[in-house]
Amino acid sequence: MSLVTVKDLSYVYSPGTPYAKTAIHDVNLSFDKGEIIGVIGHTGSGKSTLIQHLNGLIRPTSGQVLLDGRDIWAEPKKIRQVRFRVGLVFQYPEYQLFAETAYKDIAFGPVNMGLPEDEVDRRVRRTAQMVGVTDEMLEKSPFDLSGGEKRRVAIAGVMAMEPEALILDEPTAGLDPAGRDMILSRVREYREQTGAAVLIVSHSMEDMARIAEKILVMNEGRVFRFGSVEEVYSQPEELAAIGLNVPQVTRIFMGLRQNGLPVPGGVYTVERAKEVLLPLLSKGGGAHA
Amino acid sequence: MLKDLTIGQFFPAKSPLHRMDPRAKLLLLIVYIVFIFIAGNPFSLGLMTLSVAAVLLLSRVPLKIYLKNIKSIWVIVLLTALLNALYVDEGALLCKFWMIQITAGGVQRAVFMAVRIVLLILTSAVLTYTTTPTALTDAIERLLSPLRFVGLGTAVHTMAMMMTIALRFIPTLIEETEKIMNAQKARGADMESGGLMKRVKALLPVLIPLLVSSFRRAYDLAEAMECRCYNGGKGRQRMTQLRFGRVDLVCALLSIAVCTGAVVLNIFL
Amino acid sequence: MENIIEVKNISFAYCEDEQNKTSILQDFSLNIEKGSFTAILGHNGSGKSTLAKLLNGLNKPDSGQVLIEGADSADPAHELEARRKVGMVFQNPDNQLVATIVEEDVAFGPENLGFPPAEIRRRVDEALKAVRMYEYRTHAPHKLSGGQKQRIAIAGIIAMEPACIVLDEPTAMLDPRGRAEVMETVRRLNREKGVTIVLITHYMDEAAAADRVVVMDTGKIVLDGPPKEVFSQAETVKRAGLDLPQPTELAYELKKAGIDLPDGIISTEECVAALTGALREE
Repeated sequence: MSLVTVKDLSYVYSPGTPYAKTAIHDVNLSFDKGEIIGVIGHTGSGKSTLIQHLNGLIRPTSGQVLLDGRDIWAEPKKIRQVRFRVGLVFQYPEYQLFAETAYKDIAFGPVNMGLPEDEVDRRVRRTAQMVGVTDEMLEKSPFDLSGGEKRRVAIAGVMAMEPEALILDEPTAGLDPAGRDMILSRVREYREQTGAAVLIVSHSMEDMARIAEKILVMNEGRVFRFGSVEEVYSQPEELAAIGLNVPQVTRIFMGLRQNGLPVPGGVYTVERAKEVLLPLLSKGGGAHA
Repeated sequence: MLKDLTIGQFFPAKSPLHRMDPRAKLLLLIVYIVFIFIAGNPFSLGLMTLSVAAVLLLSRVPLKIYLKNIKSIWVIVLLTALLNALYVDEGALLCKFWMIQITAGGVQRAVFMAVRIVLLILTSAVLTYTTTPTALTDAIERLLSPLRFVGLGTAVHTMAMMMTIALRFIPTLIEETEKIMNAQKARGADMESGGLMKRVKALLPVLIPLLVSSFRRAYDLAEAMECRCYNGGKGRQRMTQLRFGRVDLVCALLSIAVCTGAVVLNIFL
Repeated sequence: MENIIEVKNISFAYCEDEQNKTSILQDFSLNIEKGSFTAILGHNGSGKSTLAKLLNGLNKPDSGQVLIEGADSADPAHELEARRKVGMVFQNPDNQLVATIVEEDVAFGPENLGFPPAEIRRRVDEALKAVRMYEYRTHAPHKLSGGQKQRIAIAGIIAMEPACIVLDEPTAMLDPRGRAEVMETVRRLNREKGVTIVLITHYMDEAAAADRVVVMDTGKIVLDGPPKEVFSQAETVKRAGLDLPQPTELAYELKKAGIDLPDGIISTEECVAALTGALREE
């Protein structure tokens, strides 16, 4: 049984009014612990609405979200328990910081779970370490931290609940390359240490090629593609038709094949491209050296 | 979605009232309110009622929408009418039981008050439905601009600027509140249960980030305004010049005619 | 070529309190040529945003001078003129729109400058057409997309008819569609209207569209030249905490491994051509 299963999920905003708008149609998908899934789609493709269904912030108009096979809305009063198991980090999460210290902010979720004090402390310190927040930073007001540090504290606030599924909505938005690499590696670290499922909403096909194992492409409120990186990225024309671009390095390989060169497919990252090209280029390469 | 919320009640339509100068509308509204209360007999009040009905039709805003306004205040109308009926002791006695007595004068007063309140609400609604909040702010600023001769020019401009910025940022902040609430709920914040103190405490994780973000926005906006050569309204010119046009003149003359009519009916009938 | 902005040996520090001063720029100089398109790149905290605000006099240098068409921006007499001539677009589109209606927002700058109403009208219409948002002139800004809002912010600056526009990470908060809209608008303003552009960013692909790229690190210029020249200094670019465009990075990695490839590869097409040549030789 999958950790999370979404069954025939549809959601209509403001139903029964002239502004009624179907945000997602008949979405079906499931994912398991340990998977890292990249969620890609334009603004308005329904991806934000979809992820807010997974932790019960939005109640479906029709269809179900199953957690360990149980409908999360079976007992609406216990919906908070779902939010502890499916952690959701919003876009620009640093704007939700409020406590006097970074420590207390990270502890907010675990305290809401009703955990004993020593367990809260263990979790705060563990996640702080995992995202690279030092003890000194923990004692500071979150408003005195730098932009990247605030972002990490905010993400730690959700990780400290130790959710079995961690969902992040554009966690690297507005960060520079170093900040982006930092966040992505910490998220991967969380998966390694806890074995949780991770969903990352992103606009960057390049970043997702590097971190994700599966890709979910949303378009106009529907699941456009859901499969391994290879399956999804090997159809660049389809993606281009809905205005998404495969990584530049993939396009380079397409260009090479068009020029009749026998290069393999399935290249989505620069590292992989280098691995593939080096033997081809230096076969008789001794002559150049 | 909260994002679709519109501030004020502007109802876009093509009517002479929509085209009127907001200043004229604001002034005429005040005149109308005064005369609705001056109208002292059934004939003059009837004339005012008829003219308000004509104005409603002229606004091309569906009558259903006006009715909604009345619906929301009918309790107040009823209560006021009842109080008037009970406390006014004038004219023939209609009925009496225990300490309560109702007189003909009381009933008349009750009906008058009810009609006046309804007219008051409807005429104000005409203004808000046919005028954008921005135009209204603008009208207030310009109508108050003579205050600059008593040294209050900056105050008037600042107030108007504040109103404009508030109107601009209310939807943004509502959206932001929704986002922060969701983010805290995702961390298990419980805002729906518990006693008053617990609920107030539960709001802090929403209010503090909202406050912090409002300050940040204010700072950013101030900087952006400075970059656009804003210096407190000194030497500022406006793109849209309000001009009293033919529509305004016609409306003003008609209103004066109606009001004069009401006074005449007041005196002679 | 004539310079629109001349930054002459400035230094700038933020004062947190009496003792703590964080020096951002020291003895920093930079000229911006009239009609040029300059991209200033750097990671967060490299001093690029501080520099942006120095370019129109919003920040005043502690020492040195910023000359805008020859006039000192620190001189109170030139303050307003400096802001009119060097327009500024910021990162968050929401926090720079003032009015509840698009055209009234665009009119804000010219209104402050006190032009006659007919002239304001002309500028507003022209600016909205220049960013292709004329059809939206009576809309409410909060209902527009991020990219559209940012174009309105740009129109608000163009309406002041500046000689130069400084954009401080204008696409950082936008989705790819919004980014493309804004970049297309910026390029068109530069090419068709001859507006000088200073684009501050950490996106390499945006910088590739400029005539000149300046890479900053810890308050200093580490690279300055046409994109091709700058990107071929892969080591320095990476050390400054920036990404290379993928084609450039691939070429760089291959060259490091001893493969003979030409310098200055930026676009996918250039990379395909170079690799096709190299592979056919084998």
